[in-house]
Amino acid sequence: MKPLMLQGHERAITQIKYNREGDLLFSAAKDSKPNVWWSLNGERLGTFNGHGGVVWCLDVDWQTINLITGGGDSSCRLWDLETGKNIATIKTNSSVRTCNFSFSAYQAAYTTDKAMGHPCEVFIIDTRTIDDSISTAAPILKWEITDSKVTSMIWGTLDETIITGHEAGDLIQWDLRTGKKIHSVKEHAQQINDMQLSRDGSMFITASKDQTAKLFDTSTLELLKEYKTERPVNSAALSPILDHVVLGGGQDAMEVTTTSTRQGKFDARFFHLVFEEEFGRVKGHFGPINSLAFHPDGRSYASGGEDGYVRVQSFDQAYFDYTFDYNRE
Amino acid sequence: MPVADDIQASWADEVEIDQGALPPPSEVVENGLKVVTEYKYDNDNKKVKIVRTYKIEKRVVSKSIAKRKTWSKFGDSAGDKPGPNPATTNVAEDVFMQFISSKEEAQRPDDGELDGLKPPTSGVIFKCRTCQGEHWTSSCPFKHTQMAQAKAIETAKAAGANRVGSKEPSRRDDVAAIRISNLSNFAVEADLDDLVKVFGPVHKLYLAKEKFRQDAAKAIQTLNGHGYDHLILNVEWSKPPQNN
Repeated sequence: MKPLMLQGHERAITQIKYNREGDLLFSAAKDSKPNVWWSLNGERLGTFNGHGGVVWCLDVDWQTINLITGGGDSSCRLWDLETGKNIATIKTNSSVRTCNFSFSAYQAAYTTDKAMGHPCEVFIIDTRTIDDSISTAAPILKWEITDSKVTSMIWGTLDETIITGHEAGDLIQWDLRTGKKIHSVKEHAQQINDMQLSRDGSMFITASKDQTAKLFDTSTLELLKEYKTERPVNSAALSPILDHVVLGGGQDAMEVTTTSTRQGKFDARFFHLVFEEEFGRVKGHFGPINSLAFHPDGRSYASGGEDGYVRVQSFDQAYFDYTFDYNRE
Repeated sequence: MPVADDIQASWADEVEIDQGALPPPSEVVENGLKVVTEYKYDNDNKKVKIVRTYKIEKRVVSKSIAKRKTWSKFGDSAGDKPGPNPATTNVAEDVFMQFISSKEEAQRPDDGELDGLKPPTSGVIFKCRTCQGEHWTSSCPFKHTQMAQAKAIETAKAAGANRVGSKEPSRRDDVAAIRISNLSNFAVEADLDDLVKVFGPVHKLYLAKEKFRQDAAKAIQTLNGHGYDHLILNVEWSKPPQNN
């Protein structure tokens, strides 16, 4: 299938996400306007204008009513999806690195960078009713991260925990009733760029700068699988229907200009979930892939790159016909 | 009386008009296909016609998706018409998944781009004619031995194989072969051997006798013009090779 190229951004893509039903695709970039697209034909539904700088993260609630974004302009914003209006703006002390709705969307969490003399902090806010009052309301819970800053975050099972991935490679699971650590593991040697849950939420995959992606159990943080590459991994996603994992990465953005496309290895790489073995590659981007997402129906995926493009690639029949030959000698 | 409308504009004016306006874009929907035709100027200021064909599909979706489908566009897309805006949505070239196995990957050379330019590290370009070693013949360690001489004579013989009664046919400086002429008609090989063996070992001796030459002359006389195997033979004295 011919991929769709979405050219709504002027700068590098930072994060892309599908909504739960997969009809909408959201993209955030280092320019100030997150976009939303119809995933089927690549038609742009709209842009969310309001941020004053880089948008690092975004998330959509399960009913596709609201969007939460966080950016380098030290704000976390909530948006109405139908109209694209900015409902609430939470001012923070430093840039917002990660933000996520809980599954129920009763709460949302966001984390801020350690910068400008302010520590890295985690905030949990109440999002049961989203209106302008959220801009000024105090968070339900907030705590400081004293060691390395949070670079990625997801909600744990039953909205009772959150899991943070850190710059130094640690993974920490936090209890939201107390704000205390439950589990802490350090399986990665370097920054964790991305974390994505499996369809049922029982596992999640991390993508790290240390050139590996790893699969963990959501409740115990037990290391299950490891996928090795020879370049930093910026994003990893789990297929919702098959035992497949897709990894995207490339060299650091600052090193890209000194190398050719061929050397950069900017293709999306598909691994078998269980056997940890690579079986396929898809080319396309001119720069490293910064974010990847599987369509919830598992029949296509999208990738956003440092080149500023989002590519929506539907899988050919050959992908579904392919079976991993595990009887190989 | 001709009406004003019938008067043709001059060709100069026509060009002017042509430069100014582009034909209006059109949109035709038929057989489930939407054909959009547009005109614009490209980078070289040439007029370009762009035809885009869309396939219109109907899909059954859940209520929530159907409801979202009715949302109107907002933000920077607020002015867009229904359907993908070519400014933001494009169809890229076909990309196929390359299926690989990790074994292939392990065997693939790391970066083979410059390998072809490197000189071969092993593999001999030249070899010694005497001992087949990896050096020039002139620098062969066996140069002054019998092996080298034998080889040289062998080569020389191959060059002048059917020369009758000629001198030792070598013209090489480094071959230790000598030619003795003005011998008596009665000299035999044994005499020749006595003559030279006092100077050192002799590998090979050849005495070109006038007797053989007479036989040859007779052979030429007889065989020249003789019919053999449906062909007429041509027999003559073999000539020494021209030294150019």
